[in-house]
Amino acid sequence: MILRIARKELLDLSRDGRFRMLSALVLVVSVVSLAAGWKTYTDLAAQHRTAQQATREQWLNQPKKNPHSAAHYGVYAFKPASQMAMVDTGIDPYVGVAVWLEAHKQNEMKYRPAQDRTAVQRFGSMNGAEVLQVLVPLFIVLMAFSAFAGEREQGTLRQLLSVGARPRDLALGKALGIAGGLGLILLPATALSVVALALSTSEGLLADDPWRVVALGAVYLTYFAVVTALALWVSAWASSSRLALVVLLTFWFANSVVASRVVSDLAAWLHPTPSAVEFQKGLEADLNNQEEMEERIERKRDELLKQYNVASVDALPIAFSGVSLQEGEEHGNEVFDKHFGALFDQYEQQNRVFQWSAIVAPMLATRGLSMGLSGTDFGQHRHFITAAETYRRDIQRTLNGDIAKNQKAGQVYMAGRELWDQVPAFTYEPPPAGWVLGQYSVALVVLGAWLVGAVALMMRAATTALVD
Amino acid sequence: MLEAHALTKRYNGVTALNALTLTVAPGDVFCLLGANGAGKTTTINLFLNFISPTSGSALVNGLDVTKEPLETKRHLAYIPETVMLYKNLTGLENLEYFAALAGKPDLTREQLIGYFREVGLAVEAADRRVGTYSKGMRQKVGIAIALAKGAKALLLDEPTSGLDPKASNEFSDLLRRLSGGGVAVLMATHDLFRAKESGTRVGIMKHGTLVAQHTTDEFGHADLERVYLEHMRD
Repeated sequence: MILRIARKELLDLSRDGRFRMLSALVLVVSVVSLAAGWKTYTDLAAQHRTAQQATREQWLNQPKKNPHSAAHYGVYAFKPASQMAMVDTGIDPYVGVAVWLEAHKQNEMKYRPAQDRTAVQRFGSMNGAEVLQVLVPLFIVLMAFSAFAGEREQGTLRQLLSVGARPRDLALGKALGIAGGLGLILLPATALSVVALALSTSEGLLADDPWRVVALGAVYLTYFAVVTALALWVSAWASSSRLALVVLLTFWFANSVVASRVVSDLAAWLHPTPSAVEFQKGLEADLNNQEEMEERIERKRDELLKQYNVASVDALPIAFSGVSLQEGEEHGNEVFDKHFGALFDQYEQQNRVFQWSAIVAPMLATRGLSMGLSGTDFGQHRHFITAAETYRRDIQRTLNGDIAKNQKAGQVYMAGRELWDQVPAFTYEPPPAGWVLGQYSVALVVLGAWLVGAVALMMRAATTALVD
Repeated sequence: MLEAHALTKRYNGVTALNALTLTVAPGDVFCLLGANGAGKTTTINLFLNFISPTSGSALVNGLDVTKEPLETKRHLAYIPETVMLYKNLTGLENLEYFAALAGKPDLTREQLIGYFREVGLAVEAADRRVGTYSKGMRQKVGIAIALAKGAKALLLDEPTSGLDPKASNEFSDLLRRLSGGGVAVLMATHDLFRAKESGTRVGIMKHGTLVAQHTTDEFGHADLERVYLEHMRD
């Protein structure tokens, strides 16, 4: 019965000229956004490969020099482009893709694609996530608003109920019919994106964690089900299809356009972050605290003198210059952890605000999960930064350790290829899907609650819907 | 087949239907006559469970329509003033869809075409979209749905109003054939001539109350009109 109803709804829709126009439009926009995403991804991936290789070669081919000079020479770490960034570019265009790792400093990420764009491009770029989060719900609303209200106006609802159609089946059948209409557009788009994925990578079709793909698909399907059920609910209780359309368009606009802006202000107000200048000032004030650093070096010196039972640093079996360089690093690391840690914690608090706000606007849950599963949210930006910073600290420790071991008093110590080889190439492993879902547990629960609530409302409204 | 027991419907103190008691047996064609607002449509809506009674009960095949809303509809077919169909679907697709929802999902194209023929619709019209159908054709599709469903009782709400005399006559013939086959028919109408022609009994309603019941062979057409007008006098 439900399938029979769905088939009729789809047949009816497919013969509607307006539906055909609209779906052609949505299909074109999806394909264009997909193509743009594919282009961005392949460009980034190619740049990433060459740049990563170049920085490694530069590092290894350094001439003989003092290890500390090498530390200042530095290396770049590049964030690998995730394939799924094709669907959702998230914050990637704004936060940069590379970080320079050098002595004494935790640098911020550079090379932000958004910086290279003209103003026109900034407005013109429609990424897959926007199509899925903004355009598709609008499409669902336009398909669903008259589902009950329109039939009531035309009198076919009377006819349907008089033959003994079960209202619950009607609601589910209509929902399935809308899903079918959506499938007509999304299936070709999905097939195309699979082909694009296959063409874009030498590493196999799903170089990313396949569970991310599965989870992302499930999140969007859940979201579309929520929108469909809400639209049918409104259509069932609204006294006219015109009223249903007005109510649903208002909801659509508030949910997909207004909510993220309002909540972004709310989050910034609840969990304020310092301006770039303030942040830099605070960081430098602590870094330049010479007293603390010198105390630290003295403590270490006393400790070593005691350990080796000697009277002066010159009598130590290791070069104290290496030790004091490393102590300087440790001092810096503490300062960086404090300042960046506090800043990043604020960003994550803001992210929690977004997740909780999904209670009023389900799109916010979808938005977060989409970015997260695509690997382009702040959490994974931080995950990468942490990995790169750990790598930077390892390099410093290796180089300073080498100085401590090999530097002889009164000599200029030069190291060569053997030392450069001791520093491994930077590799980055993005976190698995489970880690991401853990970060978005609130969003998951809220989205699930929306689904249960919306379907319950739809079913109830269908059974109590008036025939005229 | 159709029974009303002291069936009453009040809206905010206004009585739309007052203690209606009637029985329509298989083969009966019971015509409800009366002015607009007399309670005819309310009666039909109560049998369809589109509205719930204030008191009393409506039974279809012995089952209370409010307690068994789906089971009672299995026996019913409903034909309003204009049968509403999906204009983007062909006549046959409409028939197939409504028949499927009525519990007959496995009818073949031949069977469906058979019902089309039976109600006097041209076979060529079967694959045309309903948007192009005349009102008479729509009413016939309504009957075809009732046939396909195998309805035991028909609820008709002014089904012939606005039909030309020929279409109206064809419709009456169909009704007679159905009632001859043992279907119980309850029809609300303004058309005294049709009521006399195709009805077996008439009931006259006034301000929600059934004020008189007669069998149609009691009198000729002129008598029916006289009786009706007498009741309408205040």
